[in-house]
Amino acid sequence: MYYYIFEQPKSKHERAAFEKIREVARDFGIYGEITQASPARSADELVMIAINKKYSTIVAIGDDAHVNAIISRIIKSDPDYNLALGIVATDPNSILYDRWGFKTAEEACETLKNRKLTKFSLGLVEPDHYFISSITILPPKPTRVLFEVDHWKAEAVIDRAEISNNLYILLERSINERSTLKNAYNWLVGKSSNKTDQSIFKGKIIRVDSSDPIPVYIGSKAIKQTPISIYRKLNALKIITKRDKISLEKITS
Amino acid sequence: MKQDQVGTIVGSSVHLTGAIKDSSDITIFGSVEGEVISDAKVIIEESAYVKGPVTAREVILSGFVNGTVNAKDRLELNTNGSIKGNIDTTELLIHSGATFIGKCTMPDKRSNESGPTEENFEAEVDEDKLQTSTEDEGEDEKEE
Repeated sequence: MYYYIFEQPKSKHERAAFEKIREVARDFGIYGEITQASPARSADELVMIAINKKYSTIVAIGDDAHVNAIISRIIKSDPDYNLALGIVATDPNSILYDRWGFKTAEEACETLKNRKLTKFSLGLVEPDHYFISSITILPPKPTRVLFEVDHWKAEAVIDRAEISNNLYILLERSINERSTLKNAYNWLVGKSSNKTDQSIFKGKIIRVDSSDPIPVYIGSKAIKQTPISIYRKLNALKIITKRDKISLEKITS
Repeated sequence: MKQDQVGTIVGSSVHLTGAIKDSSDITIFGSVEGEVISDAKVIIEESAYVKGPVTAREVILSGFVNGTVNAKDRLELNTNGSIKGNIDTTELLIHSGATFIGKCTMPDKRSNESGPTEENFEAEVDEDKLQTSTEDEGEDEKEE
């Protein structure tokens, strides 16, 4: 049985899209208990209810922060039975949308019905924030940050840092063109004078520290401030994924 | 981030200390104090400074390295590249304008072809010696 946890809709369009998913789920024969997170009843509480009722599939429908909150609660609850998670990512600009975004409600419900399960690793921001997408470290102004990763340390001034669930680290720093002449030329030809300096690392354990506390986000929700420690929890959760599409070329070859 | 295809990139605003290892490519624009090890390629860009040994299958160097460079297959030292340390490689390409102060060790391919015994060819490049040899050549010309 499926237990649906919808995010509180942010717009009329989203409300209509959620309604459509409910209708199509009924048509596909995967209708279950429908709930919606709200200030009165958080996604956290709804997950606890689902686990107490021993639902085998919880479906999270919403943005990255909503999905990650549900994941976090499932892992912390450590259910004593086989529980799978279905995801319908609704924010087209989010990381989760790449894998769990659907063009139509029919496509989403077909994926949920097929129930192809894959184990996923999760990132953990100590003490108890699990995430499947990524966390973002976003200082209000360029700030010097220290990253301690496995056997090395890196010091960098950053505008933004992103750490994925597989503990890939992306650091970004915008660099302005110093030459006034070049700036003027870029302005004339309509080119930007800013370049982005990027660094990419990977690790198994990461500690992030800074002289002033910097907010750390999952999606749009601030969860902590630096210093933070991040770990990886391997194959932590079974999640429903899209079926592989077999191309015509593969069939004919 | 397309995670599977990306190796390690040390940006120009990063100062890294400690041993950095990757099975994929490592590209350095910033500064590294410690060992750099890759199973694939290490690219040290013009803005980069590395203090420590570099080990990889292939090394392409346009920045500065203070330490030994061990490139199993190939080492390319570009025009602005500089190595202060020893080199151990099979194939070496040094572009005009590059600086290399140290000892180079390469396997002798000819002796490999003729038999199982392998002697290493060693070439020592030293700035002082280079200057001396140029002066000698000048004297020869005068005598002619």
